[in-house]
Amino acid sequence: MFRYNFKYELKSLLRSRWLLLLSLLLLIVVLFAGYNGKEKVNERVKQLDKVVLEANTNDATMAKVLDSIEKGLQVSINPRRMPNAPMNVAYNYPRVAAIPAAPLTFISTGQSDLFTHFIKPSAYGDSFSLDYSELANPIQLLFGSFDLSFVIIYILPLIIIAFSYNILSEEKEYGSLKLLASQPISIYQWILQKTALRFFWLTLITMAVITITLLIFGYNFSANFLAFLQLVSLVCAYILFWFTIVLLVNLVINNSAKNAVSLLAIWVFVILIVPAVVGQLANSFYPIPSRTKMITEVRELKEELSSKQDKILDNFLRDHTEYASKDGNNNYSFWHKYIASQELVEEELKPLISSYEDQLTKQQDWVRLWQYSSPAILMQQSFNNLAHTSTSHYQSYRNQVFKFSKEWRNFFKPMLYGNKNFTTKDYKELPSFKYKAPKNNLVLFKVIVLLVFSVIFILIGRQVYINKIKKGTVIS
Amino acid sequence: MIRYIIKKELKEIFRDGRFKISAAIVFLLALVAFFVTFKQYKNTAAQYNEAKVNERKVWESQGAKNPHSAAHYGNYVFKPKSPLSLIDQGVDKYTGVSVFLEAHNRNEAAFSDAADQTALSRFGALTPDFILLYIIPLIIILIGYNIFSKEVEGNTFFILKSQGVVGWKLFVGKWLAALIPTMVIATVLFAVAAIALTSLNDFGLFEWKEIFALYFVYLLYYLIFINVVLFISSKVKKSGIALVINLVFWVLACFVAPKVASNLADAKYPYPSHQEFNEQIANESKQGLDGHNPWNEESQKLRLQILKEYKVDSVHKLPFNFNAFLMQKGEEYQAQVYAKHYGLLKEKAKKQGGVYKSLSSISPFLPTRFLSMAIANTDYESHWAFTEAAEEYRVGVQRFLNGTTEKNAKYNERYVAPADTWSKLEEFSYESPTFTEVYKQNTGVFSVLVIWFVLTAALLFFTNKKY
Repeated sequence: MFRYNFKYELKSLLRSRWLLLLSLLLLIVVLFAGYNGKEKVNERVKQLDKVVLEANTNDATMAKVLDSIEKGLQVSINPRRMPNAPMNVAYNYPRVAAIPAAPLTFISTGQSDLFTHFIKPSAYGDSFSLDYSELANPIQLLFGSFDLSFVIIYILPLIIIAFSYNILSEEKEYGSLKLLASQPISIYQWILQKTALRFFWLTLITMAVITITLLIFGYNFSANFLAFLQLVSLVCAYILFWFTIVLLVNLVINNSAKNAVSLLAIWVFVILIVPAVVGQLANSFYPIPSRTKMITEVRELKEELSSKQDKILDNFLRDHTEYASKDGNNNYSFWHKYIASQELVEEELKPLISSYEDQLTKQQDWVRLWQYSSPAILMQQSFNNLAHTSTSHYQSYRNQVFKFSKEWRNFFKPMLYGNKNFTTKDYKELPSFKYKAPKNNLVLFKVIVLLVFSVIFILIGRQVYINKIKKGTVIS
Repeated sequence: MIRYIIKKELKEIFRDGRFKISAAIVFLLALVAFFVTFKQYKNTAAQYNEAKVNERKVWESQGAKNPHSAAHYGNYVFKPKSPLSLIDQGVDKYTGVSVFLEAHNRNEAAFSDAADQTALSRFGALTPDFILLYIIPLIIILIGYNIFSKEVEGNTFFILKSQGVVGWKLFVGKWLAALIPTMVIATVLFAVAAIALTSLNDFGLFEWKEIFALYFVYLLYYLIFINVVLFISSKVKKSGIALVINLVFWVLACFVAPKVASNLADAKYPYPSHQEFNEQIANESKQGLDGHNPWNEESQKLRLQILKEYKVDSVHKLPFNFNAFLMQKGEEYQAQVYAKHYGLLKEKAKKQGGVYKSLSSISPFLPTRFLSMAIANTDYESHWAFTEAAEEYRVGVQRFLNGTTEKNAKYNERYVAPADTWSKLEEFSYESPTFTEVYKQNTGVFSVLVIWFVLTAALLFFTNKKY
């Protein structure tokens, strides 16, 4: 029976030009989405390259000047940029702390349009209030980007629905279902096979289209095969999920127009309503404290501390006796006071600042917990993770930069308080920033969850069918 | 005749379980959306008021201080929430609410809500505009997708004809039948919003004509949808297919078109990155007058010019403090550089806006979206208006502070202004664009929406002759 079914399905699909139309449509849409994503990534890489090049050139100049100074040669440079003074280096020659694009970044814009991808934390300024926002037209942020994840999460289910909403009901409406029922085959087996075949063809086309797109946009398969596998298995599981929904609706309702309405309602519910509700609840349960209040508190504290800078420095030196001047030279500069009070500022503001990050983490935990309520959330989370554009990636990046800027300042501290010059040797030991992506290898689990959903729907469908057989309402 | 048709259609619609369930869901969702937005609004408004008062207190209680130190200390201004943001939040989530005003620098509005939320919020939030823009058109599709095709499918069309029904009357009847439930839903929602807005004092002032304009825009949007849905229903013989085609239209118009438009706009007129933008400004600032550096080339030129003008041989003999004068001139130069670059950015934003507007012809969603945000004062233009007002105020603050030193201190003397100086600074006040201004700015988009209506109505009318 399977062979006949296979042949019949293929013939009818080819004859109705559905397959051709579908493949072409998918290819165009996916290519366009891939192109949009790739353009953005290219722009990001270009900008980062430019900044790194600039920083390297600055560094090279600094190294040269440093070398000349150490050799006792005359140098003509703005005294504020003189690299033998440690704080000049700490202020004028910051490192580039970047979050590089991952191989799959172009598939999902995620949060990447909101944030900048590199920052240069110097010794001056609050490492907790670095501005990570990117200059963007808010209308663009509102509308979002036409990327691959949009096509797969939103459009693909609609294609499945449009493609198969009447898979069983059509036979009934044409009267051919009676003909089928008179054959020595099980209707359930038949419809299951029919759905499976459609699933097979659509999956095949989608995989081909995605692979072509990745090839065109220069994805390195051998180096990132695992990520590719994860992507592909997620998409397969998602397609399967929607096909089982279609099958179930066909079995339960079995009227073309009503099928279409119900499937549409399910689509709206799964893709629009549930994510909106889960997101809204996350914001309501774990609201981010008022940012305007933070502004006031930070300013008040700073104002208070700035008037006591000398005392703070005294206390600081008492706590850090290793930094106190041994020869009784108490000629402290701006930087001595600044670094000491900045340490205090960050210490005092730590609870306030972390309250923002904590709430955001709680929101994410909430979303992580409830992602199983809608495959759309699950897919978006997974895609953003694969693309390294998720909230947690940017949060982790911010935390890493925060740590790094502390490390940067601490590197210069002994030199500053020890009245030491910055040397070529120190230059070679300058700390550098390397972004480490947070680990998440839960893709397999998510695929399994989607499969479990699908199996449940198939089982429910089977039960519905059995009940209908008992009542004798399958064909009529 | 028309009355009977309407009566029959309405009876059918209201009898249909799908309509009842979906209408109930819409009201429930709208209720939740209003409630949530309302709570958020109250929260934000309270925060805004508190921050505003606090900020002024902090500013005024600085004590005796050098005015330029005060300029560096800076002040914050906060963007008020517009009352109609209860209905349409527009781009509010993506724009910051506070601007830090300091000497020498023009800062961006910082801390947008979107940056403080998970990626899930990018799916869209459960807000009244979400229901008005996405869900109600869906209800229209549900009401109307089979309004003609069911007569063909059920073979009742012949019966209708044998009753001597006149084509246009049937058509008008069905059109009105689809319109009435939609009108009822939209009117109830707007009435609830209007009552909520009037009954609360902390919602600021809103004008009735604004809410009426908003209501009118959405009605036009729904009329366009009704036209399209009825057109498809009359052309396609099978209800299932009619529904699928309607859905395709809905997805294309409401989801795909805005995203494609945003990609095209960005590809055609890309924004510079923050880094690039700041660099350009820094480079240009370096070339001009530096208020902090009297040895700067431009400062020297200015000094000679002023000496000549006042016919003295030394800046000590000038009747005002030359340091502060120089500082102010530097400030003015910098403000000019900022104005130029922000002007360029605004130009770019306008060009992007042009792309969106020209693409409004492919989807009725786009003009509705833009009009709705504009009327609610939550669009990009009103954000520009706010940041520009903030910048104007910043320039004024610098003038006030430098002027204080200029008048009260001698050259090269470190002036400490008395503690009561700060309260003399005028408070920042911002008035969002008035309805008339918004109307003038958006006549183009509005006419696109009207054209959409006229064209779809004409299409529907002229292709329905056969009935």
